[in-house]
Amino acid sequence: MSDSIFESSSRRTFLKAAGLTVGGLALAACTGTQTPGGGATGGATANSEKKGIGNNGKVGTGRKGATADALLIAGFQWGPPATFNPLSPTAAWPAAANVMQIVYETPLRWNIATGEIMPGIAKEYKVDGTESITLTMQDGVTFSDGSACSAKDVVFSYELGKKNKGINVASFWQLADSMEATDDKTIVIKVNQKSKNVSNVLRMLTENYVLPQAVFSSIADDKLPTEVMAKPIGTGPFTLDKADQTQVVLKRSDAYWGKTFYGGTPVMSQIIHPIFKSNEDGNVKFQAGELDIMQQFVSQIWKMWEGGKPVGTYLKDKPYYLPGSMPMLLMNTTKKGLDNPAVRKAIATAIDYASIADTAMSGYTDVVQASLIMPTGAESKFFNKADAEANGWKYDAAAAEKLLTDAGGKKGSDGVYVVDGNRLGPYKLITPTGWTDWNASCEIIAKSLKAIGIDCATNFPQQAETTQAIQGGTFDLAVWYVSGVNPATPWARFKDIMSQSEMQPLGKTTFANYGRWKNDQVEAMLTEASQAVDDAAKKAAYDKLDALYRKEVPSCPIMYRPDEFYEYNATNFYNWPDENNSYAPPMFRGAGNTWMYKIQKIAG
Amino acid sequence: MTNIQSNAVVAETEGPVAPVEPETPKAKARPAWRSLNFGPRLWVSVGIILVITLLAFVGPLFYPYGPDQKVGSIYDSPSAEHILGTENFGYDVIAVLMASTRNSLINGLLAGTLATFIGVLIGILAGYVGGWLEEALMGITNIVLAIPAIVILILISISLQSTNIPFLKGIAGLALVIGITSWPWTARAVRAQASSVATREHIDVAKLSGARTPGILVFDVLPYLASYVVMAWVLQLASAILAESTLSMLGLGVSGTNSLGMQLHWALAFQAVATGAWWAFLPPTIVLTLISFGFLYLQSSLDEVFNPRLRRGKKKNLAAAAKRREEAARKLAEQGDAVGVAA
Repeated sequence: MSDSIFESSSRRTFLKAAGLTVGGLALAACTGTQTPGGGATGGATANSEKKGIGNNGKVGTGRKGATADALLIAGFQWGPPATFNPLSPTAAWPAAANVMQIVYETPLRWNIATGEIMPGIAKEYKVDGTESITLTMQDGVTFSDGSACSAKDVVFSYELGKKNKGINVASFWQLADSMEATDDKTIVIKVNQKSKNVSNVLRMLTENYVLPQAVFSSIADDKLPTEVMAKPIGTGPFTLDKADQTQVVLKRSDAYWGKTFYGGTPVMSQIIHPIFKSNEDGNVKFQAGELDIMQQFVSQIWKMWEGGKPVGTYLKDKPYYLPGSMPMLLMNTTKKGLDNPAVRKAIATAIDYASIADTAMSGYTDVVQASLIMPTGAESKFFNKADAEANGWKYDAAAAEKLLTDAGGKKGSDGVYVVDGNRLGPYKLITPTGWTDWNASCEIIAKSLKAIGIDCATNFPQQAETTQAIQGGTFDLAVWYVSGVNPATPWARFKDIMSQSEMQPLGKTTFANYGRWKNDQVEAMLTEASQAVDDAAKKAAYDKLDALYRKEVPSCPIMYRPDEFYEYNATNFYNWPDENNSYAPPMFRGAGNTWMYKIQKIAG
Repeated sequence: MTNIQSNAVVAETEGPVAPVEPETPKAKARPAWRSLNFGPRLWVSVGIILVITLLAFVGPLFYPYGPDQKVGSIYDSPSAEHILGTENFGYDVIAVLMASTRNSLINGLLAGTLATFIGVLIGILAGYVGGWLEEALMGITNIVLAIPAIVILILISISLQSTNIPFLKGIAGLALVIGITSWPWTARAVRAQASSVATREHIDVAKLSGARTPGILVFDVLPYLASYVVMAWVLQLASAILAESTLSMLGLGVSGTNSLGMQLHWALAFQAVATGAWWAFLPPTIVLTLISFGFLYLQSSLDEVFNPRLRRGKKKNLAAAAKRREEAARKLAEQGDAVGVAA
């Protein structure tokens, strides 16, 4: 027996593997145990003078070194940046549509806390009934290359949607008939007189960036979404400094046009977005004070300030975040089995929503209702609780199975139902990898479906791959987002889930109705809702839409979630907006950019 | 093989062989297995593995909670009702731990057996047949060895997640991936030993007797490698369990299946370490460590059983053996003197 070979290969290999695993665990344990007690932000102290500090009343002592003047942010970019073309469906932060007004800016800005539409590049807007909207530009708006940004650039940016139906802004032209620059500062938008959907036109003006005509006019129409762009030029206060697979770095543009409007330039000279593989990597850095602000799920965030970290949220008590969105379980109605409304309703009835709220979401949400309308906040006036309870669904595994058997379903020998000759599964339930709360929700959903006899397994690809599958219609089931609270919701949410007006054929990119659900009545109902002039008429129209939704179940909400997770660490900056210091909303997009100009550096 | 080895054992432990008078055969021969030295290390390792196996396969029959039964909220602290509290989904940690251990052991068994089978098959063919076949098989082995196994594991695991073939998406699929990526070192070691065995006289006798190659491999070569194969298999089991844990911790495990790696994955994802929920990550870590330690210890003690040179034994036995060697040497010296005097 040649023991020498055995000794030198197998045992060594084994020891290496064992060492790596145990070492990894030890490292993970060390990382974690270091941070709650002291770690990088061990110097956090109680402070009663400063505002916008940790929920425990503590503030850090500032950061030293190369990142002392930088704002470190996370939660937006999860893979190597591919392009900074804002028209690309996979554009990198901060060029991705309606993410953050740092490099590109929008004509108007939405404030989720007050429900106001605030000035952006346009200093004011006037609505003429349901006929037209007039925008007046701010003075001296320029792009980061020094060229002037005029009303013509604004019109050009929106008219790109006429040239290519595959870009986000294309849907603007279902809401507006024309957009005209009457002079260098004035833009007149004629509202589409079929839909007369003024609120949705305003919404589009808060979400779509203004782009330089000089740059984008040179791109062929069919290449608009695919053009790779490495140096974005926008009107924002920052420009792209560098980007690689580990980080995106922006530098402040001191020639920014909006210094007077915003009261100066931002205090940070750089904004750095490290690219993490998952929430947990970012959370560890955030807890240690190596991130200043982020938009990502943190399980049991209260443990951070209970552990002495100067971590803060907008609300000081549970649920800590303003509810503002409704992640959905999308069902691809072109797939066998999922094309049956009874099966879809059984799926909606089988999901253990309470578990999702309690564990996957750390209690940051209530159990969802069978409705596309948020039962809280500005939308609550349209929510029909009685109908949701009478004709909707709630978690009941036995009732879910009954729905399947009533639809003629029979369980096969493998324990999976067959309905109308279609075996229910295998279905792949996707959502991007590293989105911890959504990943955990998917596991609960998959288990719930398996429990009633639907074959479902989770799969967590990269974000870009998930986006492509959802927009292209190649998915089976997916947890994905739809319109959060905005000037046009709940109408926009109904449109996102039910409208066929923007729906593209399978394989082509679509930005609404990802499940490709079809219905002859819905477009008329959407038009009725958009044209309703008062809340009573709107409620009546939404009641009809919600009733159809509950009957057909093209998708189902799984939780109420903050539109954006807003959480900060007052190690290096203070004066963050919160409920006691509410000069800005707890958001990153829209009017969320206000805090960039107001936060202050703790040291230096 | 056992008899040959037991003679070798005697030779090694007793030192120089003194000429002895032929003994009359005893009425009843000593069973062959009695000559194997099952030391305390072997029993300790077998004990550890037995306890873990019982926890995995028998424990769930008596435990009041199931691994998919929500009994609390996220990271409820240990209590009288739930001794190790709850994990991030609100399931009882002990219930999940038992299910995870069972799946990890099954995965290790499947993957380890597959890797050992492939490794032995390729190694024995290459070592015995030799020539171009040996060159080709060892060339493939070296190529596979040169590529970091973890990279292949990760890439194949990602591909498996996207497949719609049910078999490949389960534990068996993951075991298959681990098995087909971890056989090379077994193949190399077996080849070396098979080459050595191939030159022995009994192989020539078998060939002259008209035995065919498959028969020779199975009946005349493999028995000489059996002790090594058993040890390699034990190590492959442990390595496969660690490999599965690594993949699952990275989020590439089997969807909806409990395993020790998946427990650690969710514990890290839901910040069990940072929030002080030790009960969520420490139990699977300890069980994983015990499994690895148990199998490594078993392999090490089996090495002693099969290889007399490594045998340690009890102190009193060692002293007795030393005394016998001294006596044998003295007798040899006396015989030498007697021969010299006679001459």
